[in-house]
Amino acid sequence: MLLELRDIEKTFKDNQVLKGIDLTVEQGEVVAIIGPSGSGKTTLLRNINFLETANSGSMTFRDQNIDMARPSKEQILWTRRHMAMVFQNYNLFKNKTALENISEGLVFGQNMAKKEADSLAEIALDQVGLLDKKDFYPSQLSGGQQQRIGIARATVLNPDIILFDEPTSALDPELVGTVLRDMKQLAEQGQTMIVVTHQMSFARDVADRVMFFADGEILEQGDADEIFDHPKNDRTKQFLSAIAEDY
Amino acid sequence: MKLSRIITTLLSGLPVTLTLLVFSFVFASAIGLGVAWLALRKNNFWSGAARLYLGLIRGTPPLLMLLLTYYGLPKLFMLIGVDINDWAKMIFGITGLSVGWSAYLSEAFRSAYLSVDKGQYEAALVVGMDSKDAFWQIIMPQTALIALPNIENLVIGLVKATSLVYVIGLIDMYNAATDLSNQNQGVYKLGIFVVLALVYWLIVLTIEWIFRSIRNDYEYVTV
Ligand SMILES: Nc1ncnc2c1ncn2[C@@H]1O[C@H](COP(=O)(O)OP(=O)(O)O)[C@@H](O)[C@H]1O
Ligand SMILES: [Mg+2]
Repeated sequence: MLLELRDIEKTFKDNQVLKGIDLTVEQGEVVAIIGPSGSGKTTLLRNINFLETANSGSMTFRDQNIDMARPSKEQILWTRRHMAMVFQNYNLFKNKTALENISEGLVFGQNMAKKEADSLAEIALDQVGLLDKKDFYPSQLSGGQQQRIGIARATVLNPDIILFDEPTSALDPELVGTVLRDMKQLAEQGQTMIVVTHQMSFARDVADRVMFFADGEILEQGDADEIFDHPKNDRTKQFLSAIAEDY
Repeated sequence: MKLSRIITTLLSGLPVTLTLLVFSFVFASAIGLGVAWLALRKNNFWSGAARLYLGLIRGTPPLLMLLLTYYGLPKLFMLIGVDINDWAKMIFGITGLSVGWSAYLSEAFRSAYLSVDKGQYEAALVVGMDSKDAFWQIIMPQTALIALPNIENLVIGLVKATSLVYVIGLIDMYNAATDLSNQNQGVYKLGIFVVLALVYWLIVLTIEWIFRSIRNDYEYVTV
């Protein structure tokens, strides 16, 4: 087991957003999280890498036990240096070129020499088919290209786990495919990932396990067939049929 | 009066004007950065102190700031037993303008910092940067670019403010021009002031050109 979350609770003011989340992720597993918006999916990912601090709960990541409500500075940095995240709105560094966006984490997060970092960044950029854009700034790239660079920025770190927060939600429909293809390729290479997504086809085809998340709780989980074809929970059924009408 | 006489007289005051401009800008930026940093602290004491400073300084007319510096600073230093009455007027001029402009610059830095997209900082953290690297690599450069147009306006304002040093008896370009026009019963006044305006205009054009080149270097960085 690579990652285990135990009883994570998070409250904003008096709004309880996470109501005791338990979650385990095995090495090499792809976990998809689906569920209505506002249910706390983003908040869950942000608690895992400490962009938010939980009110209570604990985490075991690799061999480290971390109190989620009172992580030390070292634990936070260590966790972030073994994880990566892909954001819904890409969040590429606006003042850095495509190549620099990817090498930055190696240079400053892993103390790698600039030259070595650049050559690894070029390889990562090549893998997402954008080597010719290495000197472009984010403002010169399409959303799809930015997100694929976002993925390269994550993978180049060789992280134990990548957190994806609706990586295709901000994209024009015709650009979604290329990003999903990159993600699928990653999954096939054995990359462990947690993917919050509205792309049911991706969840069905790629995920080893699908979780249905609503109102700050995991209501149901199982492999794709169980969740999509034989959902047990009424909320899951409702959600899936509402989604089906949209597509 | 020959045009050449007007020009040489005005140019004799130019070094004073430029010295005031450059040094005041550098010191005002340094103080402004420090004050902005304090104002952004979570610590109530320091951010409160910074806000008080900003309020007081921004509420003081630049002319008055120069007078307060010239007459007040020596008294202040006397309290700790240091006699600075013999310091050059230039130092008082630079001090007055630096303090005055530090508040404006501080606000330019602070508001630019606050308008940097929060996701940029988070992205830096999740690739494993510590907060110091995230600040210097990502946040600071973007803050500077956002603040650039405001800074440009403030520098241009400062060019004009240098002419206020006549109140402490410094002979800058403006003061040289007024002296010259008074010498001739005001006959050549208009000519002198037109030339003076042209020289200020050239200074401002140069400043605009500098800022435009900086901006062009980051043409594709949209912050
Ligand atoms: N920083 C925050 N401050 C206050 N409330 C927040 C914050 N972030 C999220 N929330 C609230 O938490 C709830 C869950 O949000 P989120 O995790 O973004 O849901 P999802 O990603 O499933 O759409 C929402 O009600 C949202 O308003
Ligand atoms: Mg979300």
